[in-house]
Amino acid sequence: MSEENWIEVGSTDSIEEEDLIRFDHQDKTFCVYRLTDGFYATDGICTHESVHLEDGLVMDDEIECPMHQGIFNIKSGEALSPPACEDLKTYPVKVDNDKIFIKID
Amino acid sequence: MKNNIIILGGGQAGIYAAREIRQNDSKSNIKILGEENLLPYERPPLSKDFLLDKKKEEDLCFHSSDVLNNENIEFENISINKVDFENKKLFAKNGDVYSYDSLLISTGSENKKLSLDNNLKNDVYYLRNLEEAKKIKEIVSNKNKITIIGGGFIGLEIASSLSQLQKKVIVIEIGNQLMGRTIPKKIADLVQNTHIEHGNEIILNKQIEKITKKNGNYEILLNDNSIIETDFIIAGIGSTPTVKLFENTNLKLDNGIVTNQFCETSIKDVYAAGDVSNFYHPFYERNMRLESYQHAQNHGICAGKNIAGVKTEYTSIPWMWSDQFNLNLQLTGICDEYDEIIERGDDINNGVIYFFLKNNKIRGACGVGTIGKVGRDIRITSKLTEKDTIVDKQILSDQNQKLNKLIQK
Ligand SMILES: Cc1cc2nc3c(=O)[nH]c(=O)nc-3n(C[C@H](O)[C@H](O)[C@H](O)COP(=O)(O)OP(=O)(O)OC[C@H]3O[C@@H](n4cnc5c(N)ncnc54)[C@H](O)[C@@H]3O)c2cc1C
Ligand code: FES
Repeated sequence: MSEENWIEVGSTDSIEEEDLIRFDHQDKTFCVYRLTDGFYATDGICTHESVHLEDGLVMDDEIECPMHQGIFNIKSGEALSPPACEDLKTYPVKVDNDKIFIKID
Repeated sequence: MKNNIIILGGGQAGIYAAREIRQNDSKSNIKILGEENLLPYERPPLSKDFLLDKKKEEDLCFHSSDVLNNENIEFENISINKVDFENKKLFAKNGDVYSYDSLLISTGSENKKLSLDNNLKNDVYYLRNLEEAKKIKEIVSNKNKITIIGGGFIGLEIASSLSQLQKKVIVIEIGNQLMGRTIPKKIADLVQNTHIEHGNEIILNKQIEKITKKNGNYEILLNDNSIIETDFIIAGIGSTPTVKLFENTNLKLDNGIVTNQFCETSIKDVYAAGDVSNFYHPFYERNMRLESYQHAQNHGICAGKNIAGVKTEYTSIPWMWSDQFNLNLQLTGICDEYDEIIERGDDINNGVIYFFLKNNKIRGACGVGTIGKVGRDIRITSKLTEKDTIVDKQILSDQNQKLNKLIQK
């Protein structure tokens, strides 16, 4: 695992609990979440139609798309409720000195 | 016990019911009878991404035949034209007979038709199923000026798609606003402006007097004597539940099949779900009939549970969406029973929501905004409604305050 793949997203206090922020890197968009047990990251665009999940609702371990209420598990990326049926990609997250990093492949 | 369970109507409610029955009952035979020659599929893309070629036929089915085979759910492409509830039998056009122990009716709804002269019967198109969507897509490819009769959700979605295909589109609506009276006028006007900005012509308060064929094209005479020339006509003037089959039986009908909160009809062992059912909603304490994706799915699941013997009340708060151009409109709850209306936001780019309150609790809401802008607030609204929460109106009306503050943990 090379160090270079870890990208700094921001400080831990930039995300409220049970909430998310959008993070753009090069030409890709990610969502970084703060859940009760830590930080998680997924692709930032819904797999159903191209909608930003940053406007979605975080509930427990789930993110719900603002457009048609497709639901994904934030930790596994699994599509849980139609019309979303394709899983969302997830990324490893680490916290170092109150800073959040995600590992982009 | 091993039962024969038949699901009449292979749409969204039917497939979700079938899978839910299997989750709770590994033994019974489950058979879906559907008159369309395709496994159950999603209808929302028909007026949107399918017309725009962003979704293909193979993208539309809810589940593949592998999923159905694995779960031992049979799908048969057949049209039923007679039922005998007393002897628990269904009869197909080709003479085949099907016996059931439990029956779910999920025959959906069908488009209302314009009353037209016989020589025009095949000239006006409607959109309900994939066959019709394919036909419309093929024909519009070499037409330019298209008229849509009816400014409801489906008509406007088609208008949006055809405009994106560079067609000149005219929408004729009999009422004084788009999308019917339950939609707040301001929201209807915002949607109308978006259509106009994209070049669509919207004509309100006008009725069709006569349609005349002229050299392969049409002239539509309106009640103010104006004439619209057009190459192609599509009508979206509402729909009715598909219940003709049951009209001379003792199944209780009233704007659809009357069901209680357990999806049970007036006849024992016969259930109904989805667009076809006029069901009792215990939260709103009244009957309602809905035509929406979320309802078809959840109502199907609830019927499936009850058929499998897991007694379950249907309490889902209604929700539906419509996508037109870069707008996403959402409705939750019911918007016709209120003593107060609260507005949140006034700019379509940040989202505009109308809340309908009764006794300081939200009964329903309608919002529109550019894509992604109203979904979260509408979802929180559904939760507040479901929990019967007394809401702080100041927070509701202030777009700078997050609505999740109102959710009582
Ligand atoms: C063009 C279009 C766009 C839509 N867009 C949206 C949207 O954006 N958002 C939203 O929330 N909702 C939308 N809807 C509504 C949503 O798709 C429906 O509410 C949903 O499909 C209803 O599911 P259902 O199972 O009750 O009925 P259907 O999906 O209509 O299925 C009923 C099936 O039963 C079959 N059938 C009927 N009679 C018989 C018989 N005698 N024998 C055998 N088979 C029979 C029918 O052919 C049909 O296949 C849209 C609908 C349409 C038509
Ligand atoms: S765009 Fe996310 S569910 Fe449709």
